[in-house]
Amino acid sequence: MFARLLFESFRRQIRRKAFAVLAITLGMSITTAMVSVATDIGDKLNQELRTGSANLVITPLADSLDVNIGGVDLKPANYGASIQESDLVKIKSIFFRHNILGYAPFLSGSKVFRIGDRSITTNLIGTYFSQPVQNGAENFVTGVRTVNGFWKVEGSWPADNSADALAGISLAYKAGIHIGDKLQTDGTELHITGILSTGGTEDEAVVAPLHVTQQALNRPNAVGRVVISALTKPEDAFARQNPASMSPAAHERWSCSPYANSIADSISKVLPPNVRVEQIRQVEQNQGNILSRISGLMMLLTIASLLASALAVSAVMAATIIERRQEVGLMKSLGAGNITVVSLFLTEAGILAIGGGILGFIAGVVLAHRIGQSVFGSSITVPPVVLAIVLFGALVTTFAGSTGAIRKAMRFDPAVVLRGDA
Amino acid sequence: MNRGQLLVRMLLKATWVRKDRSLTALLSITVVATMTTVALSVYADVGTKLNREFRRFGANVIVTAREGALDSRQLSAIRTTIGNRGEVLPVAYAIAEGPSGAPVVVGGADLQALRELNSWWSLTPPIAQHTSQADSSLSEALLGARAAEILSPQGQNFGIRFGDKNLQLHPASVLRSGSEDDSRIYIGREQFTALTGTAPNIAQVRIEGSPAEIENQIQKLSAALPQAEIKPVLQITATQAAILQRTRSVVLTASAVVVVLIILCMVATLTGSVLERRKDFAVMKALGASNTSVNLLFAGEAMLISIVGALFGFVAGSAIAWWIGSANFGSGIPPRPELLFPVVFGSIILALIASSAPLKVLREIQPAGILRGE
Repeated sequence: MFARLLFESFRRQIRRKAFAVLAITLGMSITTAMVSVATDIGDKLNQELRTGSANLVITPLADSLDVNIGGVDLKPANYGASIQESDLVKIKSIFFRHNILGYAPFLSGSKVFRIGDRSITTNLIGTYFSQPVQNGAENFVTGVRTVNGFWKVEGSWPADNSADALAGISLAYKAGIHIGDKLQTDGTELHITGILSTGGTEDEAVVAPLHVTQQALNRPNAVGRVVISALTKPEDAFARQNPASMSPAAHERWSCSPYANSIADSISKVLPPNVRVEQIRQVEQNQGNILSRISGLMMLLTIASLLASALAVSAVMAATIIERRQEVGLMKSLGAGNITVVSLFLTEAGILAIGGGILGFIAGVVLAHRIGQSVFGSSITVPPVVLAIVLFGALVTTFAGSTGAIRKAMRFDPAVVLRGDA
Repeated sequence: MNRGQLLVRMLLKATWVRKDRSLTALLSITVVATMTTVALSVYADVGTKLNREFRRFGANVIVTAREGALDSRQLSAIRTTIGNRGEVLPVAYAIAEGPSGAPVVVGGADLQALRELNSWWSLTPPIAQHTSQADSSLSEALLGARAAEILSPQGQNFGIRFGDKNLQLHPASVLRSGSEDDSRIYIGREQFTALTGTAPNIAQVRIEGSPAEIENQIQKLSAALPQAEIKPVLQITATQAAILQRTRSVVLTASAVVVVLIILCMVATLTGSVLERRKDFAVMKALGASNTSVNLLFAGEAMLISIVGALFGFVAGSAIAWWIGSANFGSGIPPRPELLFPVVFGSIILALIASSAPLKVLREIQPAGILRGE
């Protein structure tokens, strides 16, 4: 009898049910899309920022200080300690290797260049532009084009296996260097393919492939500094604790969370002891702050839209039940108990909620995917747990909307309702 | 009672007698108006809020004198150009000799301003083992972490030499930055000038505002200071531009999706509820009402509800936007009175569409049929 009532209710009121399902679907697709976007936006922006600027730096431990003003390295080239280039590939073998998006080594030294019949003294900086590197079976490409997205080149980037080079924009301006010029130094001829602007020390220098620089400075296999771009988790209070004073369990948790410090720690473990790995605080701290602000903003917007869709869904359910007072009156006058009426209506609401919830989830996944594509050019993944949240949310909001209306409908005297007076 | 009075009376009765029906309609419209107000207010203000956050990144423009030092005229030109929307910190650098005779870069600047500009520095007191009492005859110094390890491993006072002059320093704090500042020593401006006899040739400038405003200020600075080189710190300005653009578009897209869906949801609710009123419709028609007066009545009811709903929604939405701003950015998002009209007008249009569309369907049916229950 109950099943039949239920079935007939859907069969005979198909239009009314369709409107309710439509409204629930819309409400739940908002939930799915917003929750997915809000949970993913931090990662998406982080990924984007990491191609823009590196956040960790490796420097050799030296018994003397860097002497560097305005990009001019005033310490003699063979004076400083160095990192072995051949060790760098180990960076990709750490526990957090998937968080390491790339790295770029730098080696610099002062050189005298001859251009035509003039001669200039300036810094020569060697680096990877987009160097293929092999770590075991894994091949990857890394260099400044991966980690320093803010470097702008007018002309073309040099190839790493060539003797091509870039001239910093200030140097090019002062020394009159143009694309296509040839710079000579100690038997090496550098071919300028582009003009580089970085807003930093490179603007005053000649930037060449690392192997050319090592040769020109006579420092084979040496690297002075390495910057790394790693996906990190913004620092919280736990991350700022001193790892040395943590309990073993807390230390375990600390070293398995991708904080900048714990990634730096695990990189320094695979490298020889004469290097230091540190976060570039200006990038790491400030970007972490900005990212948490943006994630927070999206979370609050999500909460607001969840409340809105919950209210909308409740309103729909209330509206459909309010219009069915006469049915309630009829059922009651035919002898139905309150429990029967309530369970009939709530079962209907439950079916509508689950149907609308599933449809809404599918629509929401499509929407989230579209938003990801249009804003970040990569799709936003919807965690499966969102489906559970959506179904639960749909049930709660439809029940909440229905119960009030049902209670009200049952309070009326059936005779009055049937007469049409209430 | 003339026709007009009758219409008004029916309108008010229809709204009042079936309060719960009107209430659900009112709720739907309020929700739409609230979300729209929230989305538009947040979208309009998110850029300003984020640009303010970028103050923490510190100097985003570096001004360097091409020859010699930046004179006071140039410094005041920079100050006037950026006005109160930023900060200027003149810094001087020189190479001095540490206790062992090894070279070390010494910077001279207003230490307090330097600390504030570089708010991301981690500052720790030096290891206090041998710390001699802070002696007023010694100059306070801010030591880079590596400089501290080499020059003052125990936190002790030490001396630096420039030419034939000596300066005894007391390490006040140790800074960690992950940049070349880790190898430097910073001392106060006066001490620096007394030691080296040189004035600052670099000014670290922080300009507040959107990427376009910063670009604009850089142009002005270049025009005002032909003798200096003005360079944006691309790493910061590029980050700011990228973050702003992405965030604005994600807020816009997500809000658009939410607002459109919630509007559809409301239209579904209202349409459904008007369809349920087929009996009212049939009775009116059977009593001789024209299509126009029925339309007018339904439309009037929808308008009444939507105006009230939109006003509630605007107030609630402004309040929520304010709360989002103060919870997340520490300062509220101000209400935007210019949104009031579009929100109210939009709600009326939507309510009219939602309530008049189903009437077309009803008009096809004979009143008698509806009353019989077909």
